[in-house]
Amino acid sequence: MKDIRILFAGNPNVGKTTLFNSICGVHQHTGNYPGVTVEIKTGKRQINGHSIIVSDLPGTYSLSAFTPDEQVARDALLSSGPDVVIQIIDATNIERNLFLTTQLMEIGLPMVIALNMCDLADEQGMTIDADCLERNLKIPVVRIVARKGEGVEELIKTIIQVSTHKTPAVHRAVEYPHSVTSHISEIGNYLSAHASLLGSLSPHYAAIRLMEGDEHLEKMLHEKGCTIPFIDTTDPAERDGIAEDILLARYKISEEITTCSVQCSMGRVMPGDLIDQVLTHRLFGIPIFLSCMWFAFQLTFSASNPFIVGIEYIFGYFTELMNSVDMDPLIRSFLSDGVIGGVGSVLVFVPSIFVMFLLLSILEDTGYLARAAFVMDRLMHSVGLHGRSFIPFLIGFGCNVPAIMATRTLQSRADRIITIITIPFMSCAARLPVYVLFAGVFFGAAAGNVIFFLYVLGIVVAILSALIFRRLVFKDEPSPFIMELPPYRKPSGFAAAVHMWFKGREYLKRAGLVIFGGVIVVWALATLPAGVEYGSADSLVGIIGQVFQPVFAPLGFNWQLVVGLIFGFIAKEVVVGSLGTLYGGEEMLESSLAADPTLHPIIALAYMVFVLLYLPCVAALGVIRQEMGTWKWTGIAIGWGIFVAYVFAFIIVHVGSLFIGA
Amino acid sequence: MVPLSLTKSGEKVVVRSICGTGHLAKTLGQLGIIIGIELTIIQKAKESVIVRIGESRYALGAGAASMVLVEPRK
Ligand SMILES: Nc1nc2c(ncn2[C@@H]2O[C@H](COP(=O)(O)OP(=O)(O)OP(=O)(O)O)[C@@H](O)[C@H]2O)c(=O)[nH]1
Ligand SMILES: [Mg+2]
Repeated sequence: MKDIRILFAGNPNVGKTTLFNSICGVHQHTGNYPGVTVEIKTGKRQINGHSIIVSDLPGTYSLSAFTPDEQVARDALLSSGPDVVIQIIDATNIERNLFLTTQLMEIGLPMVIALNMCDLADEQGMTIDADCLERNLKIPVVRIVARKGEGVEELIKTIIQVSTHKTPAVHRAVEYPHSVTSHISEIGNYLSAHASLLGSLSPHYAAIRLMEGDEHLEKMLHEKGCTIPFIDTTDPAERDGIAEDILLARYKISEEITTCSVQCSMGRVMPGDLIDQVLTHRLFGIPIFLSCMWFAFQLTFSASNPFIVGIEYIFGYFTELMNSVDMDPLIRSFLSDGVIGGVGSVLVFVPSIFVMFLLLSILEDTGYLARAAFVMDRLMHSVGLHGRSFIPFLIGFGCNVPAIMATRTLQSRADRIITIITIPFMSCAARLPVYVLFAGVFFGAAAGNVIFFLYVLGIVVAILSALIFRRLVFKDEPSPFIMELPPYRKPSGFAAAVHMWFKGREYLKRAGLVIFGGVIVVWALATLPAGVEYGSADSLVGIIGQVFQPVFAPLGFNWQLVVGLIFGFIAKEVVVGSLGTLYGGEEMLESSLAADPTLHPIIALAYMVFVLLYLPCVAALGVIRQEMGTWKWTGIAIGWGIFVAYVFAFIIVHVGSLFIGA
Repeated sequence: MVPLSLTKSGEKVVVRSICGTGHLAKTLGQLGIIIGIELTIIQKAKESVIVRIGESRYALGAGAASMVLVEPRK
């Protein structure tokens, strides 16, 4: 049996990824706001001897593709030649979604429509005549509830059936006014003679795209030396008029089909309006948002405390157990300094990180995130950022990597670059262990406030950086803010828990590989050359640390701290991991740090600030390169981070010592 | 005709014109903000607005809101 390759297309936030997860049995990220998925994810499902290869695309309102994530979707639809395109439609908002259908139909690929969120449509008292939709569009329609997996088997059956049709797909055609059709055939005739340039596009369809203003295609044809009739001979205003006629024709057919197939019971209430009036209020909007954040922050620490105590207890037990048995000193050192000391120091923080993922996931599911972006837009705009960048920022508190990817939803390149440069200043979950450790040891009861200060400092530095880059480098305005606000939905506690579990598990896996690996390297370097005192200045790690230490001498960091910074580049958790290894293990780490005469609260603060700002981890660096597209901007982003970190740590040490001296 | 940025919360209006061309105007068009469409203003915060068209809600920052010219609905 041949593989069946299918694409999931549709407007943003209609449940494409939810369906993808349900079919392929995976756990890709979903959330209740537009622009969650920004790259293609592919999965596989075997059924009745067929193997179905599913690609989940980023959501898009049309095929015009003004942002990188929409371009990804458009390119997949126009050039990857799938067997069937599945459009997922939000049943509660059919008319809106049919606009995209009118574009997808014209590509000429076999299609199936999955009418999702039928549960919500029922709840809202809508009656949808799927047969009428099917007849009018000439596309099979299947009702589903992706979140519960209802209708999914039927959908797969339909997909398999459609994929075996021998005849080419014929869908409903959009009826354009004569002014448009005459130009379509004129351009189409011309393109028929150059069909080889069009790839898999039909000349007729390519003509429509050119008339709608597909700059990408137009540029490609011009590069190949084409002079396109009408397009190249008509002034832009008239072309805009024609593009508008096409747009209206699409809306007309969408409206017609909706009118005949959807019936609403009278008086549908829109409860979201009232909530919006409060949450996005001109005066209360920002205070409400900040209180939410403060509450989440407190919860992250208080809810995870009991677990942390438990984990510390277990590690204490292991250490004792090991001390009571006889073993080779080298193995003992490996287990107690390396494994328990390094990995244990990091594992203690896992509960906080789980709680944080849980809260982020709830935030993403309610629909509030998009409102927060709206509330912050004016503020963001005034510092040279796009309101939408606010969403990547919030995601960045969990992990910077998906946050940097999320900048694909921004239209202007300048907005994207500035956002990418500033995201690493959002304190990701991996930096938390460093703060908790140092703040706990050196600031005692004030630890919570110190940590909150660090988060805020990250945001302040991000704002300053945005201002500087916007004023000095780009010198333009951020592009205007337009965003669809999703309906409010009650977050499902179960879904949030599942989400937390998978995120947390990913984190633990990393703890198992990267952190463990990093820590073992540090342990080995601390043990070598043979015979040297473990972790002393004469060990390899001591030598490495001392080579770089002079650079950090003005900041007062000792060589152990410097080693932490160097290895922290692998992943920020390794900072604590390697300090744990060097300072005598999880049990001892806190007391030895407190006892180290070269350290005091000011240096600890400077160190935390340096870790906050200096350098994203390797993984983040990789995506920065990927999304920036050039080494130049990647270099600027990194250099800027190190520069800012150094300056801030320097100021803290020197201003701080004035106070201590006095 | 006034720009959307000068309307009041709770007003119901009809779009009469979209100023400007380019990607921004096209983006508005794709979201269904086109001439003749009826909007309800849900929220007004300085010059930014949240509007509802049928089942969809859109947030427009000051820059985008000033491009959409509307008239009160009769
Ligand atoms: N009630 C209900 N909610 C659903 C259903 N399917 C998806 N959702 C919710 O809708 C929201 C959006 O789902 P996603 O799967 O992330 O949507 P998407 O189409 O992949 O969105 P983008 O990646 O942003 O384009 C999530 O909060 C889902 O939990 C459904 O059948 N019923
Ligand atoms: Mg998705």
